[in-house]
Amino acid sequence: MAQQYRADLLVSCVHDRPPEVVTALENEIKQRGLDQEIRVVTAGCRGFCAVGPVILMQPDDIFYVNVQAADVPELVEETLVKGRVVERLTYKDPATRKFIHHYSDIPSQRKQMRVALRHCGLINPESIDEYIAVGGYEALSKAFTMKPEAIIEEIKTSGLRGRGGAGFPTGRKWESARKAEGDVKYIIANGDEGDPNCFMDRALMEGDPLAILEGMTIGAYAVGAHEGYVYLPYEYTLAVKTLKNAIQQAREYGLLGKNILGSGFEFDIQLRMGARSFVGGESTAIMHAIEGKPSEPRAKHVHTTDKGLWDRPSCLNNVKTWSIVSEIVLRGGKWFAGIGTKTSTGTQVFSLAGKINTTGLVEVPMGTTVRQLVFDVGGGLPKKRKFKAIQIGGPSGGVLPDSLLDMPMDYETLAEAGSMMGTGGVVIMDDRTCVVDIARYFLEFLTDESCGKCTTCREGVRRMLEIMTRITQGQGKLADLDTLETLARVVHSVSLCGLGKTAANPVLSTLRYFRPEYEKHIVDQYCPAGVCKKITSFQIVVDKCPGCGLCIKACPEGAITGEKKQPHVIDQTKCLRCGACFDACNLGAIITTSRAEMEKEVVA
Amino acid sequence: MITLTIDGQQIQAEEGQTILEVCRKNSIEIPTLCYHPVLEPYGACRMCTVEVIRKGGSSLQAACTHPAWDGLEIKTNSPPVTEARRVIAGLLLSRTPNVPVIQELALKYGVKEPPYPVKNPDEKCILCGQCVRVCNDMVKAHVINFANSGVERVVGPPFMEKTRECIGCGACTIVCPTGAIEIVLEQAAIYDAKPLGPTASIYVPSLQAVPRVPVIDTDTCIRFRQQDRTNGEIADACGACQMVCEAGAIDFNQKDEIVELDVGTVIVATGFEMWDPTKLSQYSYGKSPNIITGLEFERLSNAAGITGGQIVLADGRKPERVAIIHCVGSRDHNAHEYCSRICCMYSLKQAHLVKDKTGAEVYEFYMDMRAFGKGYEEFYERVQEEGVTMVRGRGAEVDVLENGKLRVKGEDANLGRLVTADVDMVVLSTAIQAPQDASKVASLFGLGRTPDGFFAEAHPKLRPVETNTDGVFLAGTAQGPKDVPDTVAHAGAAASMALALLSKGEVTISPTTAIVDDKLCSACKTCIALCPYTAISFLEDKNVAYINEALCKGCGTCVAACPAQAITARHFTEEQIIAQIEGLFRVPDFLKAEGVPA
Repeated sequence: MAQQYRADLLVSCVHDRPPEVVTALENEIKQRGLDQEIRVVTAGCRGFCAVGPVILMQPDDIFYVNVQAADVPELVEETLVKGRVVERLTYKDPATRKFIHHYSDIPSQRKQMRVALRHCGLINPESIDEYIAVGGYEALSKAFTMKPEAIIEEIKTSGLRGRGGAGFPTGRKWESARKAEGDVKYIIANGDEGDPNCFMDRALMEGDPLAILEGMTIGAYAVGAHEGYVYLPYEYTLAVKTLKNAIQQAREYGLLGKNILGSGFEFDIQLRMGARSFVGGESTAIMHAIEGKPSEPRAKHVHTTDKGLWDRPSCLNNVKTWSIVSEIVLRGGKWFAGIGTKTSTGTQVFSLAGKINTTGLVEVPMGTTVRQLVFDVGGGLPKKRKFKAIQIGGPSGGVLPDSLLDMPMDYETLAEAGSMMGTGGVVIMDDRTCVVDIARYFLEFLTDESCGKCTTCREGVRRMLEIMTRITQGQGKLADLDTLETLARVVHSVSLCGLGKTAANPVLSTLRYFRPEYEKHIVDQYCPAGVCKKITSFQIVVDKCPGCGLCIKACPEGAITGEKKQPHVIDQTKCLRCGACFDACNLGAIITTSRAEMEKEVVA
Repeated sequence: MITLTIDGQQIQAEEGQTILEVCRKNSIEIPTLCYHPVLEPYGACRMCTVEVIRKGGSSLQAACTHPAWDGLEIKTNSPPVTEARRVIAGLLLSRTPNVPVIQELALKYGVKEPPYPVKNPDEKCILCGQCVRVCNDMVKAHVINFANSGVERVVGPPFMEKTRECIGCGACTIVCPTGAIEIVLEQAAIYDAKPLGPTASIYVPSLQAVPRVPVIDTDTCIRFRQQDRTNGEIADACGACQMVCEAGAIDFNQKDEIVELDVGTVIVATGFEMWDPTKLSQYSYGKSPNIITGLEFERLSNAAGITGGQIVLADGRKPERVAIIHCVGSRDHNAHEYCSRICCMYSLKQAHLVKDKTGAEVYEFYMDMRAFGKGYEEFYERVQEEGVTMVRGRGAEVDVLENGKLRVKGEDANLGRLVTADVDMVVLSTAIQAPQDASKVASLFGLGRTPDGFFAEAHPKLRPVETNTDGVFLAGTAQGPKDVPDTVAHAGAAASMALALLSKGEVTISPTTAIVDDKLCSACKTCIALCPYTAISFLEDKNVAYINEALCKGCGTCVAACPAQAITARHFTEEQIIAQIEGLFRVPDFLKAEGVPA
């Protein structure tokens, strides 16, 4: 009989930092002699990046955020001994500014629906017993009672599409892999996410590795493969560790290897690690990497399901897709198809970043509108700033304006709008974000991350970056916009791989929705957001300034002067154009102007 | 067979080809930079972009990687295609502004100047990866690859350091479309080894070769070199010739083999070899690349040679003065005493070629002009008229001057004084001599040799093609120096002698042969070594010497030498000879009657 506990403390966000909180908790509990009653579990990611480390106390459902080692004695004393909630450590809703004691009451959680990340943060990822206890491997045993074709049919019914970004129907992929000729076939899980701000694959691999392995085993059974690979970045040291451990345990339990669950089916999985890179996550690049070659994409006119890894039929899916598979097999394709929209079924994991209150990972049904994602789930923008744009789909996604706030997010609608689902990276921008600068920033990223194989991506993206840099420095010409558009169009239509093709998205979408902002940069030499330093000046509107001194405190250069209750003045010769004053002023008394005009005035 | 529509034209094609291959076969022009027919398509340069319409949707695709599927509609010059190619050409021109290939390509799409700021005007590499693929996939030397990513991407050996793994095959320089790779001499040892050898590893030995088919030079062929270098571990390198040979005529497994034939007659036509002029150090052969032998000059002047028939100095300049020295190694007590017979005429021909091709001044240092053949004297006159300076007298010495010029010293016997000439190139008309292994051939066939080392004919005037061994004939310079017409005549005679023998179907041999008396033979084997016709062998089972009567000429050497007197010559036994002598000295009966004293 396993040890029984009266409470579990599930600690998240402690993997990549020193384990102070966990150690403090364990010590405290031991000192008080509670270690036979209460267990501390290092659990996976819960998505609360803004407020980590977080602790979920079960079975009471009490949720603590921002827990530091110093908080531990109070927490143990109050909650575990006296049974009271430490309110200051509970979650404060950014909308209502009220403390919420229980995890299930947090609005952003209630609006989510967790399928891919269903176990993350709820179980100990190092223990296969916990995975089995929450229903793990039920799906696999069910799968073995079905014919492989029936499983593929079930996946097709579910409408599941690849969660890696391109959204290729998973069922169809499996079907062609099953039909492909060849005795040796491979199953590959792609955990190499290269987008900045994206860590959902990592969260999944760290938090629920066995869900991936189970999904792969089902997939292997369905397509007739006996060898599998999980490819992930070396930098994900914890994911490597948890996956290694998971594979080991699964083998020990007979859930990998020969004669799985007595079915006679044989399947084993190996880990393959590479350097994390953006283009390295492309499917053919992964196959090259597994083969031991440089991870560069190749043309895919012949599908990898026919000729993939070592020129053999290969079925590659994102780790999230594999994680969803077992849930579909268990609960039926119809259940999954009932979530989301008609063409984009199920849920999608987004990582929220940028100007948003609840940064972190969320999983919502497909078809959730941008507004719901940003304001309901994400808790809106900090300081109630004005929503200006959202970029969806990672660095090569498109930047969409506020007019599309009510657009449902699914594969087709996003593509039509000039963006993409991608891996689900989302950056929210307020009016202090310059879209020209943001597009330039993403081009910079993409220039660095291009593998350099094909001319259009290697040379084209760099040239777009050069032009964009010129524009943000006030040296743009109107003709540049046409050049940019042509260049972007060709890069989009001609580049070799999906990443090269989408590299033009930031430019194309911002030109489509924010062309006036470009023109302001070029013609008026003015950056409305006050970001592009070379053409920006900050100015205090005398009528609005009450002389509160907030801006004086904020200015790192001491460029602002003024008596109390008298309008303040910015010394343009000292000003760094950092915008700290602009952000500090609560009354909108500081405005951005064109630097050239400002200088003219100064001279005058 | 499949059918595609390319630019509105219905085209039949075989399955399994790419769009580019189909277009090339049908002479539809598509520009490429990273494509090479023997390399795996790579799809990097994107120049070959075409518009592909399939299932109603249109997209731009690289023709080099896209398979030609049945029913595809392809446009190779629609506006999107031209726009894409123009943009790509502009991007490449901005990267490599001074590469002629890229300039031309860009100009074709209307790009005259680099549209974007040029970072490095000396950049030549467009990162097409042809060199990388040829080195890794074909040569299998794995010496160069890409390093870094994105705009930082470069091609080079590991860590950009010199590597010993490079075999200097030069395949990368050949495939490079922009001339970005150079082979420096240090690594080009293989070319040094054969300065006047074939220019490629596959070549037709000469335009006159029979049969006129190419051969593989296994010393420079990448496949054979890799095989040798790795002890057969890399056995399948390159093979480019096999890929492009539509007739499937290339077989790497062909080997030299020894064929045994039973023949009735043998014509020995083993030819000559060139005498090595380093043996006479006064000619400084080997001290300057511009001192060459007559045969090397022939290679230089050959239209299929390394310079395409241009007569140039080692540094590529045209020579202004050339000296040709006759009788180098011939008619010389320090080398060969005989006249090589061919040098006068080929030297005159070479003088004519130098005049004709370069207009240089030519000096011929000769002892006697032996223009004995038909039309030869007339040619000699013509060359003189062309302005070649004839210096009668042996060229005595060649000095290499500090400025690289060559000083030829000699005596002008006509003027009776010493002369010198400073020239750019010296051609030594070296002697021809019997091959080094002539003695082996001689003992194999039982041939004699004259003091000059060539094989001896049976009679210098009456039997010039026969040898002392029946059925073995001589042809050409194996017998002695000859020019081409003489060789042809000699060989014709040898052939007809051989045919005459063969057409008879049988040979008549002399009954005068030696035989061994087995009972007397003491197995000393003395006779075997002595037989000039290799007619005696030793029978191990009987332990006696045995004479092959078909070979025995009845010379009697063995008979005289046999210590056991076991060998007798038929019809020349001792009894017979003594009887003959006795008979000779006996007084006839009719004389006896007349009372002549005995």
